[in-house]
Parts: sequence; structure tokens; C-alpha cells
Amino acid sequence: MGKYSRRNFLKVAAVGAGALTLGSILDACGQTSPTSIPSTDTALPSTQQPATLSPFPPETLQPATNTAPPPTNTPLPPPDLVVTSGGEPELLVRQAILALGGMEKFVPIGSNVIVKPNICVAYHTYEYAATTNPWVVGTLVKMCFEAGAGSVKVMDSPFGGTQQKAYEISGIKEQVEAAGGVMATMSPYKYVRTQIPAAKVLKSTDVYEDILNADVLINVPIAKQHGSSWLSLGMKNLMGVIQNRSALHISLSQCIADLNALIKPQLTVVDAVRILTANGPTGGNLADVRKMDTVIASPDIVAADSYATSLFGFTPEDLAFIVIGASMGLGRSDLQNLNIRSIRLDA
Amino acid sequence: MPDLPQFNMLKLIPSGLTKRKKLRGGRVSGPWVIFRKSIQYTALFLFIALFVWSRQDGGPANLINIPMRMDPLLILAHLAASRTILAGSALALIVILLTVVFGRAWCGWLCPLGTILDLIPFNRQRKKRPAIPDGMRRIKFDFVIVIFVAALLGNLTLLFFDPLTLLQRTLTVSIWPALDRIVTSLEIGLAKFPVFAEPLGVFDYWIRPAILPVQPVYFQDGLLFAIIFSGVVLLNMLAARFWCRYVCPLGGTLGWLSKISIFRRKVGIECKGCTLCTDICPTGTINPLQDFSSDPSECTMCMDCLEVCPRGQTRFVPVFSPEKWTGYDPDAKEAFLALGATVAAIAILNSEQAAKRQSPFLIRPPGVREFNSDVVAFTKCTRCNECIRVCPTGGLQPAVLEVGVAGLGSPILTPRLGYCDYSCNACGQVCPVQAIPPLDLEAKRSQVIGLAYIDENRCIPWSDGKPCFVCEEMCPMPEKAILLVETNVVGPDGSNATLKLPHMRRDLCIGCGICEYKCPVSGDAAIRVYMPQVSVPF
Repeated sequence: MGKYSRRNFLKVAAVGAGALTLGSILDACGQTSPTSIPSTDTALPSTQQPATLSPFPPETLQPATNTAPPPTNTPLPPPDLVVTSGGEPELLVRQAILALGGMEKFVPIGSNVIVKPNICVAYHTYEYAATTNPWVVGTLVKMCFEAGAGSVKVMDSPFGGTQQKAYEISGIKEQVEAAGGVMATMSPYKYVRTQIPAAKVLKSTDVYEDILNADVLINVPIAKQHGSSWLSLGMKNLMGVIQNRSALHISLSQCIADLNALIKPQLTVVDAVRILTANGPTGGNLADVRKMDTVIASPDIVAADSYATSLFGFTPEDLAFIVIGASMGLGRSDLQNLNIRSIRLDA
Repeated sequence: MPDLPQFNMLKLIPSGLTKRKKLRGGRVSGPWVIFRKSIQYTALFLFIALFVWSRQDGGPANLINIPMRMDPLLILAHLAASRTILAGSALALIVILLTVVFGRAWCGWLCPLGTILDLIPFNRQRKKRPAIPDGMRRIKFDFVIVIFVAALLGNLTLLFFDPLTLLQRTLTVSIWPALDRIVTSLEIGLAKFPVFAEPLGVFDYWIRPAILPVQPVYFQDGLLFAIIFSGVVLLNMLAARFWCRYVCPLGGTLGWLSKISIFRRKVGIECKGCTLCTDICPTGTINPLQDFSSDPSECTMCMDCLEVCPRGQTRFVPVFSPEKWTGYDPDAKEAFLALGATVAAIAILNSEQAAKRQSPFLIRPPGVREFNSDVVAFTKCTRCNECIRVCPTGGLQPAVLEVGVAGLGSPILTPRLGYCDYSCNACGQVCPVQAIPPLDLEAKRSQVIGLAYIDENRCIPWSDGKPCFVCEEMCPMPEKAILLVETNVVGPDGSNATLKLPHMRRDLCIGCGICEYKCPVSGDAAIRVYMPQVSVPF
């Protein structure tokens, strides 16, 4: 953290420059003004680009992205899951989404997008790995706008501390607002009772209306340990959108899978820049935090969670909600059969 | 007062009788009254604005507790009880100085409760009520004696009846939660119609979290405190500003101070005795039998009499001699009686507190236990309820009888209603008299306010053999105070299963109570926070 050696900078710059050649998508990131991003946690390869691009590229630019001929190093079809590692958060996210086919694939022009990070408590700053990395969230918000999203709202409902304080302490509010997104208040009147026909236990629950109405939901959990031999990943992160969470805890794994049968994010981006390996989900001890500089992205939430278990030395079979989720057909946990692309940015 | 406002109708109304009819509603107007009312409404607005501001995660503590630090009764009683001088309490000198110059102007011009009583006067309901004997006015003075004697003996319970604490408590515990319920219910109702979705979103964006909380807070005794407050307002039916005339201990304190106030009401010699001023006076202190003179201890300097006098005979002029003791000011015998009764009552209360030492759930705000020796009676607490209104979770609740009569209105953490937020130290920051020490967040996080115990007979994994680890999940400690131990258990049906059972590591527990708050067991939680070992010398 902190300082950059010249070598690091050159690496990052080289990767960034390489990325430029991949297509017109990255053109859009050139608008990021260097002052809007603290330099400590973010690589800014894009600042080398000419600053002639407007902050929000005209919509006419976008379709060109999809039709652009794929560069030689992008095989067809796009992978089921992308893992990027060894770089700064912004670059990790950009590379991962790019390898999945670009944000345009998930965010139609003019759509209203909700990004759901994990902001579970207001206790600690992001370094403690209890809440999603702010730059990961901020980059996703930026990319949504670059893809032509009409609105991007970011929200979560913490269980410890007030929402507004949690938004602030996590650092997410700052990055989201810098990216032009809105940190939305999750107001108590907006929960609607919703039936989950496919559910085994959680037959109905009160779900936040905006989540149900969103055109696109992007799930951005942080990977962390949870309750001795359990993990909190993408599927668990969706618990933040319902009102009565303590009711789920009797058979938690089944309830998580049931909830996932209702709420299906178009994209799951697991933030493993830092992971919390003990005393989760709340954290508070830097000794429990491991810096992985990794981001996992997939349209398949079960696959993303399955892969993320490996960061902790688990297999997907160790986690009941993954097993149940796969058996309910919510996604795939057979990692060996998935088309996984691993990208090391520092290689 | 050289240029008194003149009434155009002056020559037309020789006797003032026509005018009296016009005053049936108890209203009078004029530049002074308009000026006074604008000050009154501004002060009330500021009081409520500071109240609302504090709800959004605290607000600047030194600003939002200004009204309490200006209250001379609260500050002087605290001084008597704690024998410590706090620099921030110097604000009370402003009101004391104001009183020495202008008498009970606080009551007539600034007090937010007084303004509310003016706004809901019940004038019509009062017309046929019998006159209340003037002797009743002594109640508030006796009240002052009792409060200060009790304070010297280390008891501040009766500050419960200070007008500012009373209003603040009612706003916090009754009015705001009710408002929140009403607004949320309306929102839920209207949200069913798609037409309203857009305006509702805008409306909600402006009120939450600015005015109403995002996560609702609940108070167990909201109704009781609403009834007490309603009683104070309804007393207006018996007499205008009944509370201020007969009961208010702050009014009594300022009333006595007004005996030496400089500006006092005097009536000129051209007074024809039309009794308009007697009728209009909100505290009923203008005595037609004594040349329409008034008692500065009762006069709130509202200026109604000045505006209503058709001959301009009412003036407020500087006087530099102390006012005489009146018939309803307590004499030596009465004062001695009040003193004796207070001493006896405090003795009884103290023994009752010793009995209440047994209360297992007496959890005070963070730092109280370590920095005050009087956890049970909490003698430094002025009952202002600032801590309760800033508590973001609603965990702090005003005690009714949980810690005995002496603990009335003092804050207790009630974990089933709200937990002590690990990211918050607002209560200590906002406390105007440092009864809750102003700890920084790091120091507050290590304060042991209670200790959690698991009820293995009710805990889901322990007694039902089903997995649950909410308490462990919620525990905010960097090293969890709840340990999950994988254990082979025999289920109720005789089957063997491996379960994670929660165990307390009480050496790590601070008693924040989030485990109790979130425990999914219905009714009393299966994990409860108890008061730690009491180190109070009884």
C-alpha cells in the first residue's frame, strides 16, 4: 500500500496501455480526472490517455463496442467466470468486466442500475475488510455510466450502526458520489412482501422494492469469513435487501438459497482485494485481514461464490448454501467444468 | 418607556368595556406582542431544530445541548449535587443575567414549553372554571426548595419536572416516534398507488434521515410520558399557563431571582381601573385590589398589559430595591418543613436504592460505571435525556421505576429495544454535565457496560439442536466474545448431530447488547446482558 515503485507503475501503465488496444470500451475510462481518485488505492493508467473525451461518452459510441472485432487475445465465447489479480482495485475490476464481454453486456443503455455492496457495519474503515472496497464499488458505478446506464444507485442496510454512518465510514459513499452515483437511503416504507414460489423454507419475505424494480442488479460482496467455518460471499450478501433477517437464521443456508431464487443479480463481482479470514463478518483486527488483490466476476452468482471459497482453502462442497443453490439450479458450482479465465495483472 | 403605542380607538372607548369584549379570546396585539411572539416562535423553532439535528447521528454535541446548558435550574442543581464546576455550564449565567435585568423574561419570551402552553391556551374551556387561590403559587417555590435540598443530598430525580427536560423527553420518547409511525404508515399506504411513487421518493429523500430515522426506534414508556406531558398542557384549562404559575420549578427559581430584577412593571397614577390588564395577564398576577400592581416573581414580562392598557399607564421601569416577600412565598416555617420532608424522603429513597442494587439489568451508558461511583442512583444525571435522543438505536430508554423512584428518567440501556452501537460515542459527547463521560470512540469501545450470558435452556442450538449463530455474527468485538464450538449433540429425537454451540468469552465481552437485540428467540432473548459486578459501597 501507499507508494509506487517505478517498476510497479510501469507494469500498471503497460497493462493499461495494453488494455487500450482491446477496444473502444476503455476509451470511456479516459475521462477519469486524476483528482477524483485517491492515488493510494488506485492505478491510473488511463490518465495517460488524451483528455479530450467527455465524462460520459455519447451513446452512439456504445453500440460500436459490441460490434468491434474481438482482439486476438479474447477467445470466443466469453468465459463463465473471470478472476483478475495482482493490481489495483480499479484495474482489477475493469479487466475482469472487460474479459466477461464488457459492462455493455450487462447494462443496457438508459437502464436503472442498483449496485449492492456489503456495508454490514459502521464500525471500521475498508482496510478492515468488513465492507466492500470503495474503489471496487466506485469503478463499477463509473463503468455502468460508461456503458450508458440511466441511473446508478448504491445501497445496503447495515446491521450494526446507522446506514448513513456506515456509508460514510466504509468510504463507499465518497467513491460512489465521485463516480456520479447515488448512495440511496433504504427507507422503511419501501419493503414489500414478496412470495418466493421456488423456496423451500423462506416462502415469503419483505424485500426492498427498488431491488425488485431495478433493471440491473450488480452484487458486489466482499469475501469474508463468517461464523467459524462459514463464508459470507455473493449469495449471502443479498440478505441486505430484506427486512427481517433474524428470521432467516434458523436454517440459514436454505434461506439464503431461497432468497437467491427470487433475487438474481445480472452480475456478481466478489471483492477479494482484502479478505477477512477470522472474526467476521464484523472484523476489527488487521491481523485477520489478508491482502489478495483479487476480483472475481461472473454473471453466475453460485459460480462466483464457488470460486471464492478457494481463497479461504475451502471447496464449494464445504458450504451448504452453495450446494443447495446449485441443486436448486441457481447456478453452477462445478468449477472444473466452467470456462474460467484467470488474469494476472502483475505477471 | 417613553413612547408607548397609542390605540386609535382610545377616545371611543371611555370605559374599556367594548374592548374587553374584543379580548374574550384572550388575544391582544401590538408591536411589543408581535416582537415577543416572534422571539418565542424562533426559540421554539430552534429548540426543535436542535432536537431534529441531533437525530442524524449526533450532530455537533456542543451545539445541540445548548438549551440544557442554558437552564439555570438544571445547572445549579447539578452544581449542588456534584460539587463540580463545568466550563460549559457557564451558559446558564446568560439566563441568570437576563432574569436579573428583565425578571422572568425567560418564561414569557424564550421557554419552549411556555410557548407551547401559549399556543394551546384552552381559553374557551376555561371561562367557567372557579378561580384558583393565589396560595397555590407557593407550590413552585416549595418545589425549588425540595429540588435544591435533594440536590445537596445527592439526588436530582425531580429535575424530571424541569420544563426543558420534560419537553425534550416527550419529544424524544413520545412525539417523534409517533410522528415516524404516522409518516411511515402513510408512506406504506400511498406507495400502493403507482401514481405516488415518484413524489413519495422525493418526500422521503428529504425527511430521511434528516428529520425521521431510517431505522425506526421504539420507546417502551412513550404513552406514559405522553400522558404526563398532556397533563401539563391540559392544566391550561384551569388557568392560563397553570404550569408556569403554580408548578414549574424553573419558573420558581427564576421567580425568586426576579425579586431583585431591574425592570419591573409599574402602573401610572392615571389608571382608571378598567381591569383590561387583569383580564389579559397570562399569569393572573395583576391585582385590582392593590392598585393593579403585580408580583415580579410571577410576571413573565409578556407585555400584553402594556399593549392593552388604553391609557398607557403600564410601564416597565428600572427599580433598584428588592421586591417584598408576598403571602404565597414560603415563610421560614414552610421552608423548614419542605427541607425536613426532603431529607426524610431522600433517606427512604436511598434505602430503596440499596434494595434496587439487586436489579440484574441495570445497564448504564458507556463510561458511567467506571467514572461514577453512583451507578444505581446516577446522581450526576440531570434527566435531560440528551443521551436518549442521540442514541441511534433507541437502546437508551428513560427509566420509570426500573431502578427505583430515584432513577426516574435516567437512561438505561435496554438491549432488546436497541444495542450500544460500536461505532457511536454520542451519548458521552452530548451529555451537558458529563454524567456520561465524554470518551473518544476508542476509549468508549473498551468500556464494559454489562456482560452477556447465554440461556442454554432457550438458545436454539443448545436446546433445540438446530444451527444458529446470530449472536456470534453480530458481536462487534475485534476478537469475538462469543466462541462457536463444534460439538456432538444428541437431538430431542435422539439423533446425533454436530452443531456449533455458542460459548461466552466474558473476558472479551463489553455488554453492548447487540447479541441480545438480534437474538431470533421470541420474547426475552436467549442471550442477555446483565449488570457487571457492582463496585458501589453500600
